[in-house]
Amino acid sequence: MTLKKIVYILAALAIIMGAWGFYDRFANGHQNAAYGSYVVWGLWVAMYLFFAGIAAGSFMLATLDLLFHIEIFKGTGRTALWIGLISLGGALLSIWLDLGQLWRIWKVYLQGNPGSVMAQMVWGYTLFGLLLVASLYLAIRDPQSKLLRVLMIIGLPLSLFVSGAVGALLGVEASHLFWHVGLLPVQFPVFSLASGVAALLAAIGLFGPAKDPHRAQQLWVLSIATVVLALVKLYFLWADFSQSIYGNVPQNVQAVNAVLFGPYAWTFWGLQILLGTLIPIVVLVQPQLARHNRWAGWMGVLVLVGFAVARANIVFPALTVPELEALINAFSGPRLQFEYFPSAMEWSVTIGIVGLVVLAFLVGTDRLPLQSQEVA
Amino acid sequence: MPVLTEPRPAFIVSNAPLIPQQDVLLRMQDDLKRALQKPVNQRRWVMVIDLRKCVGCHACTIACVAENKLPPGVVYRPVLEEEIGTYPNVTRRFVPRPCMQCDNPPCTPVCPVHATYKNAQGVVEVNYDQCIGCRYCITACPYAARTFDFGGTYVQGTTGSEAFLLGEPKAEAMERAANYEYSKAWERKGDESPIGNVRKCHFCLHRVNEGMLPSCVTTCMGRATLFGDANDPDSVVADWIASPNVMRLKEELGTEPRVYYLV
Repeated sequence: MTLKKIVYILAALAIIMGAWGFYDRFANGHQNAAYGSYVVWGLWVAMYLFFAGIAAGSFMLATLDLLFHIEIFKGTGRTALWIGLISLGGALLSIWLDLGQLWRIWKVYLQGNPGSVMAQMVWGYTLFGLLLVASLYLAIRDPQSKLLRVLMIIGLPLSLFVSGAVGALLGVEASHLFWHVGLLPVQFPVFSLASGVAALLAAIGLFGPAKDPHRAQQLWVLSIATVVLALVKLYFLWADFSQSIYGNVPQNVQAVNAVLFGPYAWTFWGLQILLGTLIPIVVLVQPQLARHNRWAGWMGVLVLVGFAVARANIVFPALTVPELEALINAFSGPRLQFEYFPSAMEWSVTIGIVGLVVLAFLVGTDRLPLQSQEVA
Repeated sequence: MPVLTEPRPAFIVSNAPLIPQQDVLLRMQDDLKRALQKPVNQRRWVMVIDLRKCVGCHACTIACVAENKLPPGVVYRPVLEEEIGTYPNVTRRFVPRPCMQCDNPPCTPVCPVHATYKNAQGVVEVNYDQCIGCRYCITACPYAARTFDFGGTYVQGTTGSEAFLLGEPKAEAMERAANYEYSKAWERKGDESPIGNVRKCHFCLHRVNEGMLPSCVTTCMGRATLFGDANDPDSVVADWIASPNVMRLKEELGTEPRVYYLV
């Protein structure tokens, strides 16, 4: 059995597992979610940040082929756009299910508040989604068209804007000092690019066209980019955490301590740092492994896992620090706690969404002409 | 003002006429009547909480829950308890925390659909019919004064014979009965608002507009919570907010809270 078939089966299983979560979400609303009135955003918001990052980053990478026509990336543009589109779908599905009133989403478009970063972001992502669809259509039908070039020119700054807006969404919140740093919106486009690179590394490494003469070289370049961006990411992490710790503002220090030494510190050290950063760096700096399809591909997957955890470690810790310390014991109740671990329903929905995205990717690679004729 | 005519206790040596002190609750009621005669945009509702009088009985919290039929996970006015010092030199401080009704609220501009705003009387409202439940405003509030209605009830899960004896269905029906926030009947059924919405203290505007003081004010046995129109120089609250021993929470943020604490 090929890897693709195994992943097809896993994706289908994930969707079946997710079906229960979707049912529960629609039947019982938020009642079986673990987030509450204090830790008010949970797994779905983290996954939204994660998928949205891949979407924006993938578009950035698509421009290497479809706008700048860099020889080595020839043929990767359509795959990158497809990854971007399905990731955006995953992101929007995650955040839509997180809304308290699902069917009022239209209000953001027709009665939106232009001054709200969230409204700006929704509009930006909608525009970005339409642009992705149009770009992919043109990239398949008429790759030499001027309109495609125009769309890519518009899309590049738009992808920077939408990825930065996610950081700004959190960064503008002065009530959570852990988020309220100017560096946060600046970091997110870099995170997006890094997740886009990792996604493409996984896609080309594990499911890329066997006949593509550029494949090994593409993997090598993407591997170098992954390593460089992982180091930049580590530097950002150091900058964030050291600034908070040395600044010694209790709210910040508590949030950082929650990440480094809290009950879920193992996710930071084990998944984000070791599995998602250090192991990929060690593997991908070795040219023979970096050019190896499976090795490079799986390292891309590991980096993505690390990124998913990293998004959670940005969202949750800030919310687990009480705005007023005595709130912890002020009025007890199941939704009035400063601790959070996703419920079975939340996991189920997220597994389902991941399954849908992976399945869409595989169907796209099989059914859509994503690779150029010469390598397909 | 009536003058006392009863015989004075022996220890009172002054011959000045004795004037009985009017219950502050009655005085606030008079203040409220006066304020309601003014145009809405000339009223400036504020709350003053005298921490020296608060005994931490939590009656205000419960009165608020009952008045607004708040479900699990939703609380408008918790009372924070802080222990100060180390044994044996310890004391406790109680700080009720309603919505601060900030004059510069961080929660309103972040709303993507204009569902929350300061109304003409300066109270921060949530339009339940407009709120999409994104909870961005909750994360923006530096006082954690906003909570989310997840749709649950207190009796949920109390199944079996015990629940039967307690009358779970009727209790649940009571929990889901309409509250009258923002002067409208809001039944909690299905996934209809206010379920799936952000909820917060609104100074019991539905009561205030009908000439009644907020529920937490009337319930406070120590008369520690005062309410009124700060634009009325004769009001109780106008007296107190000018005093030197007044403070507001997190004033350094520039949110200009309308809840004052006497310390």
